[in-house]
Amino acid sequence: MENILSVLVFFPLIAALLGILVNEKSIRAYGISVATIEFVLSLWLWMSYDSANGGFQFIEFFPIASDFGINYYLGIDGISLFIVIMATMITLIGIVSLSITKNLKNLIISLLFLEVTMVGVFVSLDAIVFYLFWEFSLVPMLYIIGAWGGEKRVYAAVKFFLYTFTGSLVMLVGMLYVAYIYHSVSGVWSFALTDWYALVLPLSVQKWLFWAFFLGFAIKVPMFPFHTWLPYAHGQAPTVGSVILAAVLLKMGSYGFVRFSLPMFPDASVAYIVPVATIAIIMIIYTAMVAYAQSDMKQVIAYSSISHMGVIILGTFAMNAEGITGSIFQMLSHGIVSGALFLLVGVIYDRTHTKEMSQFGGLAAVMPKYALIYGIMLMASVGLPLTIGFIGEYLSLAGFFKISPIMTLLAGTSIILGAVYMLSLYKKTFFGPVTNEKNKTLTDLNSKELMGLVPLVAIVIWLGVYPKPVLVPIDNSVKALVSFMHEKAQTPEARAIIKVSKSTKEAK
Amino acid sequence: METLVYTALFAPLVSSLFAALFGMTPKRQFVGIVTSLLLFVSFVSSALLLDYVMEFGSIHVTMMDWIVAGDMSVPFGFNVDQVTAVMMTVVTLVSTVVHIYSNGYMEHDKGFNRFFSYLSAFVFSMMVLVMSDNFLGLFIGWEGVGVCSWLLIGFWYHKEDVGRDVNPSISPAWAANEAFIMNRIADLGMLVGIFLIYWNIGSLQYDVVFSHLDGLSHGMLVAIGIFLFIGAMGKSAQFPLHTWLADAMEGPTPVSALIHAATMVTAGVYLVIRANPLYDMIPEVGYFIAALGTFVAIFAASMALVNRDLKRIIAYSTLSQLGYMFAAAGLGAYWVALFHLAAHAFFKALLFLGAGNVMHAMHDELDIFKMGGLKKIMGWTYAYMGVASLALAGIWPLAGFYSKDTILEVAFNEHTYGIWFILWLTAGLTAFYSFRLVFLTFWSDSRYKEFGFHPHEVQKYVLWAMAPLAILAVVFGWYKDSFMEFVTRTLPLYEMSEHTHHMVGVLIAVTTLVAVGGIVVAYLMYSRRLKRNEKIEKSLPYRVLSNQYYIPIFYEKAFSKPYAELSDIAWKEIDMQVVDATVDGIAHLVEESGDGARGMQTGNLSDYLKWMAFGVIALAVLAVFVAMKS
Amino acid sequence: MVGLNEYLILSAILFSIGVVGVIRRKNLLMLFFATEIMLNAANIAFAAISSYHNDLTGQMFAFFIVAVAASEVAVGLGLLILIYKKYGTLDLDNFTVLKG
Repeated sequence: MENILSVLVFFPLIAALLGILVNEKSIRAYGISVATIEFVLSLWLWMSYDSANGGFQFIEFFPIASDFGINYYLGIDGISLFIVIMATMITLIGIVSLSITKNLKNLIISLLFLEVTMVGVFVSLDAIVFYLFWEFSLVPMLYIIGAWGGEKRVYAAVKFFLYTFTGSLVMLVGMLYVAYIYHSVSGVWSFALTDWYALVLPLSVQKWLFWAFFLGFAIKVPMFPFHTWLPYAHGQAPTVGSVILAAVLLKMGSYGFVRFSLPMFPDASVAYIVPVATIAIIMIIYTAMVAYAQSDMKQVIAYSSISHMGVIILGTFAMNAEGITGSIFQMLSHGIVSGALFLLVGVIYDRTHTKEMSQFGGLAAVMPKYALIYGIMLMASVGLPLTIGFIGEYLSLAGFFKISPIMTLLAGTSIILGAVYMLSLYKKTFFGPVTNEKNKTLTDLNSKELMGLVPLVAIVIWLGVYPKPVLVPIDNSVKALVSFMHEKAQTPEARAIIKVSKSTKEAK
Repeated sequence: METLVYTALFAPLVSSLFAALFGMTPKRQFVGIVTSLLLFVSFVSSALLLDYVMEFGSIHVTMMDWIVAGDMSVPFGFNVDQVTAVMMTVVTLVSTVVHIYSNGYMEHDKGFNRFFSYLSAFVFSMMVLVMSDNFLGLFIGWEGVGVCSWLLIGFWYHKEDVGRDVNPSISPAWAANEAFIMNRIADLGMLVGIFLIYWNIGSLQYDVVFSHLDGLSHGMLVAIGIFLFIGAMGKSAQFPLHTWLADAMEGPTPVSALIHAATMVTAGVYLVIRANPLYDMIPEVGYFIAALGTFVAIFAASMALVNRDLKRIIAYSTLSQLGYMFAAAGLGAYWVALFHLAAHAFFKALLFLGAGNVMHAMHDELDIFKMGGLKKIMGWTYAYMGVASLALAGIWPLAGFYSKDTILEVAFNEHTYGIWFILWLTAGLTAFYSFRLVFLTFWSDSRYKEFGFHPHEVQKYVLWAMAPLAILAVVFGWYKDSFMEFVTRTLPLYEMSEHTHHMVGVLIAVTTLVAVGGIVVAYLMYSRRLKRNEKIEKSLPYRVLSNQYYIPIFYEKAFSKPYAELSDIAWKEIDMQVVDATVDGIAHLVEESGDGARGMQTGNLSDYLKWMAFGVIALAVLAVFVAMKS
Repeated sequence: MVGLNEYLILSAILFSIGVVGVIRRKNLLMLFFATEIMLNAANIAFAAISSYHNDLTGQMFAFFIVAVAASEVAVGLGLLILIYKKYGTLDLDNFTVLKG
């Protein structure tokens, strides 16, 4: 299949449109089958991906408005491959474990639309196509939060939409400016990323553009102080919305840093390591504290997401293969783990209609399977070795250690503070006597919930013990990226800080 | 030989997974039996490996790659050399005994199967810790034992939080979290140490690292040494990260015997022993380790003097003995530290298991003031605990005598007389509190009758299971010379000076004297009946000691509470009132300016015309200005 | 001698009267008259400047304006009559349907 990427993008779109014709009763089965096919297709993509090649593969090019440099230009490398697979997998798991019955048809169609945009963002190599998918992803999410959310759903949905939209408009201006510069240098218009990579910008221009893109990505990640939309969105969104938001949509921001900021503005990225890392450290420590102060279980996990994203940003700006590979792996890890944790919160919310931890206590005795899976995910979240959470966190921190040991030490407090809020959550919820009479009769996980959660547990342990199949393709692409940045960098500081791996040097 | 290595390593994992299959079902006796058997298999493999290593030297196997990114390549590799073989044998032996013992101890517990699953998982993690051939592999085990310790301390998670005055550990769940978080603080230090090693040497394999140490600056070596030791401080509960160990006694007693006495807490000592080429190059850090160990030795012993909680006394004595081990390791006598580690594992596990028997007999009562006279009923347990206490006190010819005495000789030999003196004094205190415990529990008046207890001896097979530990607690010391010969094939040999050789007789006499003295004092004070002295119990030093120098309360006041309050401020004041309010403020600004401007839209034509005229005039004025300027 | 300036001044005065009328008057009919006055002010200016420059274009425009004004009055007055029939008043303050 030459056009596998187009198939991946448009199959859910067509399926979603056809889904309008499917009747309400069979929509669930329909949604699951579509998502399964999509997931299998993405696995096929992985199977036929050449791990040794760090460059873009499965490239598709189709002119849309060539005079203006806008083309339908797709391709993936190790960096985006696994995020695509994760997006299709999380969508599948989200649909499988849906417990909503109200307007199910609309919900499933929205989820399929969302899948289109998620896959589209990560496979686009044309800035305008990327931007289109990026913005379109807001629409189904807005609808999911606004239609199936909690009490303050409208406020949360609007805030989510306007906030991220504002940021991406600034990014769009940045993109147009890059295209303008490209035009003035080469005489033709182009929005193709590969063309933009070749563009060597003066440092002063890079600095402005860096912040323009930064704003768009930072709001999406979300980075402190642009993070306040996230707790509302998570607090109000239905379970499936939170799962996809945390697992995939946030990754768009951190992915953007790797895909745009680093290779396009290597000098500016190096010049701004300190401010960005400072923000990342604030994210890590400050949001970990805020998470500890929460009384609502879902908010703890929402804030913990921000804290973990801090580690990802830190790894991205490590400017060496260890750190960037780590940060991409951590994106996957955080996607799986926070997705699972949101699913778990959904499980208890479906049963008790509350997320307040004070209402729980002693659940380990009542729901042992639930407690077990929660425990595994918790340990993965705090970065226990042999779970998926450790590898990304370790590599990100190890990578950034090369830049600044002191900052890494500060960021490393995440392993302590993470344990503090997660363990106190676990203690409040699962330990102690069962204080609430209502909780004594709770039923343990049913087969539908297990079907969603068990695969995630398997992945958490598999990739924790044997991450090589995933790590190697990522690493090869990252090594290529780093050596490209090193060659492109103009300032001596940037050349000194961007560290090309020994193996890359030897290959040359 | 690879098969043996993998058998020794993975038998506990298989055992854990097997028990986990039945984790949510009611008690199945065969779970206990199968796991014990698998652990025994692991022990036999370890013993065979020990034998193999003794004859042919170390074995190295690499299973597969783990993390490969950038220039970092960390495999799952295992190296069985002399030190590892000793550790493996000690760990699996004590584990096997504890597994068999737990069949009896946990007999009526509804989490029987779950318990064995956790316990075996712990053994697996511990084996990874000692067998790994690189620092990151060690870190896997390091964190793994931490999690298992968390699970096992919090095993009776259903208990409620109570005040510190009722139970100083608050609740099992609380103690478990405390242990995990304290260890995490230390783990950060260790992780930084690992990062330093990686970026300065480019590898995490022990052999590569230790052969490249020469190329590093002295300052860098000191930094690595300190950060690794911070990791060791957490796991081995050294001051100021010691509070979790006493609280960890909330776990079932077999757990205390295995994890919090014999194996996990010695991981820190193992790390220092393992990194001996590093610490040999930085004697000032070694001296600091020795000084801290010495301080912890007497510090912990002092708290044990007045405590009334059976298990806490033994926990403090563990802490104190860990101090001895660090003192030896810090002074460069690594093999002595390892020797004491092994000897301590045997007699301390025995002591804890004996304490478990007593608890069992007394229906989980831990206050030794409520016991007494149990030797008539629990003869075997009395014998075991007596032997263990004698070994702990360092009485000839038991294991503790040889190991502790050698540590004191080392301290003397290094001319660190301060350390020697404090350790010597601690030896006396150790003898005193150990026998205070023995006398108050087994001798003196049978106070338990007042409280309506009906003690009984435990099952026969449990007593038999404890026998290997008892035998080793007696005879292990006799093999000091062959032990030394064996482990110094990898560890540096420690030579006593001529001067010390002459003094050995005197040193032994002095040490034995203080130990015997401690026992005699305990005998005089506690052997007949419990005499409580209100005045002493109300005095300041007594209260300071029984409240653990008020350190837990200080930690709560200085760290936990302020952190919670600060978190609350961060959320309610900063996040909601400043950050989010700013965002909403901008939104409101836009909304209100629009709302304000809406007033213009009166719908009245003449108003519009007025605005239009105003606009025309404004434009005209602007045009005039522009015209005048140009 | 009546020169161009005088014509233009007259035109400006008439225009100002028209503007003030448009702004101040409340009756739609009066607004109409005021608009007519402004148009005629423009006509005067056109005619005057046209004759001054000997260029007929301006006068042609004046004719155009007269024609447009006539048709506008025809339509406009028709609308006014309809409004009056429907609401019984031509007071502007009563027509605020577009209020925001």
